[in-house]
Amino acid sequence: MLTRRDLLRAIGLLGISPSGWCEPIATGAAQDPSAGERPALRFGLTPVILDDRVAFLRLWASWLERQLGRPVVFIQRARYREIMDLLLRGGLDLAWICGYPYVQHRRELTLVAVPRFQGQPRYRSYVIVGADAPFTALRDLQGRLFAWSDPDSNSGYLYPRFALLEQGQDPDRFFGRTFFTWGHRHTVEAVAEGLTDGAAVDSYVWETLARRVPELTRRTRIILRSPLFGFPPLAGAPGLAPTDLQAIRRILLRQDQDPIGRQLLDELNLDGFAPAEPALFDDIAAMAERLDTGRRT
Amino acid sequence: MSLTPASYRHRLPLSLSVAAVVTAVSMALALGLQTLDNLREDQGRNALRLGHAMSEILVQALLHDDVWLAYSLLRGPEKDAADATWILIDAGQRIFASNRPERFRLDQSLEAALPWLPVAAFSPDAPAPALVRSIEPQDDGTRRVLRLTLASEGGPVGELIALLSDRPFLARFREILVGGVLVTAAVLAVLLPAGWLWGRRMASPLMQLAACMARVGTEDARQLRCKIPESDSEIGQLGRQFSAMLAALAEKDALEQQMLQAERLAAVGRVAAGVAHEVNNPLGGMLMAIDTYRQGQVLDARTARLLDLIDRALQQIRGSVSALLVEARGDSRSLAPTDLDDVRTLIQPKLARSSVNVAWSIGLVSAVDLPAAPVRQLLLNLFLNAIEAAEPGGAVRVEVGTEGAHLAVRVENSGRPIPAEQLAHLFEPYPEQRPHAQGLGLWICYQIASQLGGRIQVASSAERTCFQVALPLGTEEVS
Repeated sequence: MLTRRDLLRAIGLLGISPSGWCEPIATGAAQDPSAGERPALRFGLTPVILDDRVAFLRLWASWLERQLGRPVVFIQRARYREIMDLLLRGGLDLAWICGYPYVQHRRELTLVAVPRFQGQPRYRSYVIVGADAPFTALRDLQGRLFAWSDPDSNSGYLYPRFALLEQGQDPDRFFGRTFFTWGHRHTVEAVAEGLTDGAAVDSYVWETLARRVPELTRRTRIILRSPLFGFPPLAGAPGLAPTDLQAIRRILLRQDQDPIGRQLLDELNLDGFAPAEPALFDDIAAMAERLDTGRRT
Repeated sequence: MSLTPASYRHRLPLSLSVAAVVTAVSMALALGLQTLDNLREDQGRNALRLGHAMSEILVQALLHDDVWLAYSLLRGPEKDAADATWILIDAGQRIFASNRPERFRLDQSLEAALPWLPVAAFSPDAPAPALVRSIEPQDDGTRRVLRLTLASEGGPVGELIALLSDRPFLARFREILVGGVLVTAAVLAVLLPAGWLWGRRMASPLMQLAACMARVGTEDARQLRCKIPESDSEIGQLGRQFSAMLAALAEKDALEQQMLQAERLAAVGRVAAGVAHEVNNPLGGMLMAIDTYRQGQVLDARTARLLDLIDRALQQIRGSVSALLVEARGDSRSLAPTDLDDVRTLIQPKLARSSVNVAWSIGLVSAVDLPAAPVRQLLLNLFLNAIEAAEPGGAVRVEVGTEGAHLAVRVENSGRPIPAEQLAHLFEPYPEQRPHAQGLGLWICYQIASQLGGRIQVASSAERTCFQVALPLGTEEVS
């Protein structure tokens, strides 16, 4: 949790500390006198992370601004698709999106970086049920209520459907009723509060919640862990200038070297950012393809 | 044993206390019920307002099949403290969302979830107006139901139901009730002792009166000294009436006593007079016979001595008898101031021997219409008695004067009081209590006063004894 004290300390460091991380900004600003006039970097966020913590996002934006020497604006939307639309149509410079929409638009988008979570740039999909529910496997949920996170989510939609298909089930008819929660946190809440019998959720979000709000995750139980998939990446818009891309990538890849950056990463429950190859998301692409063919047949 | 205490000493404070308790309890109860009513009304109004506020977004959620939107709206910010159970029903009468998702499952039919709820008639023409209705209390505590038809253009799309129970504000109600009870108890803690004291104060004059009345009849009314409540209230009036009654009673007792004494003395007088006459007649004959016998012949010495002895004895008898027989009549000389001075002169030798201080006050300027001799005798006797009773160094005060149509004689002396039991027999001849006194002085005084139609009274206090004689002037003597 980011407390008020942390916040003040961070702001204090940003403002007056003469420590090393400040210098690049100073020199950057000196090298580029037009820095103040440059348009803000538009950074899209989706519920792949816990994007509801405004104070933290402000700190991160402010840190990024110092590093980049230009304003950074986080733009949030409730649904993946809206961010994707903005990203593809030039409304954003980059966005933190899910691997599933990335593979769908691989050709147009560039990979900026991939977060490292628990030592590697990968995560899983969890299928969770209520802590006291009798279900032990995905097949037990037949005819039950099930919550998806977002139709453009890999962990919260694509993988569980793929798993059902693999088991010879029709993902559209297997459950009694399904609905979308439009966010992984909501998904965990929906299971914990008994709104649904089961749900699919991002392992990173679940684990982060388990660290931060253990009383919430304690009311859920994981009955299925997927194989590892590429972590939701930060993707650059089709129109993102290569120099900007390089600048952002450089800063992100070095964020874990910086004390404030380190703190911000801790808040995110991430180890850092890593360079990424499109091949990291081949598994997701294969699943998407399999489902598409499954639907067509 | 009777349940109601008989005495006002308990009954009055008790009824005050009971009145205070009953008032306090009924006030608390009335306020509590009113509060409960208000809380329920507020709850209904709030639910209706909230339902209307949410309806537009809920319609959207229904139209877009967005379960999470509806749920996140209904569950509100405080999931567990929610005032009501909210249920959103779709057009197919199936549950779409509820803030109690574990009980009201998505897609469950309303009929299965709430069998007691009457099926709402979904009429596209006239949607039922939203209102809160009271129902039979259900097992889950539901007492009121709000039903709000959600309509979009083109007709109803669902219904919002709120199940309202008393549970959310029971704690608050209990707090109010406990607060009321505490305040009531605090007020009673002040009121009860005050009421008790006040009741006792109100009852205490009655107690005094009752205690006093209880003594009437067992004690002599004249000796009865009671504390009578003084106030203008009815009890005060009662007290005054009672005092007046006591006084009348005392007066009557005194009068009876006086009459009894007068009657007794009159009877004694009649007996004495009768005996005296009976004795005097033969006595006269005997004395005359002795006299005749002496003159008729020469007596030897022995006979002469015998006759002298008989003569002296008879004379003594005559003296004693005539002392008993007081004759106030027969002397027609009127009483003059000089008669009174004579009395003083006669007393002078005796006075000189004693060291008694005499105050002599004669208010008589001319002769009055009273026989002189008996009045002189009366004054003399009283005066002598007074000097005797006043111990050496004491004082005697004599006053004679006319008061209206009476001659008033007052003889007062200092000294020991006359005991009450002696007072009752003071005017009788040879009283038992004064064996060494000659015994006829006061008897004679009484006889004189009675025969002159007057009264003689004695009052004896710790320091002085006073004889008071009133003799009517100018009236015929009575026997």
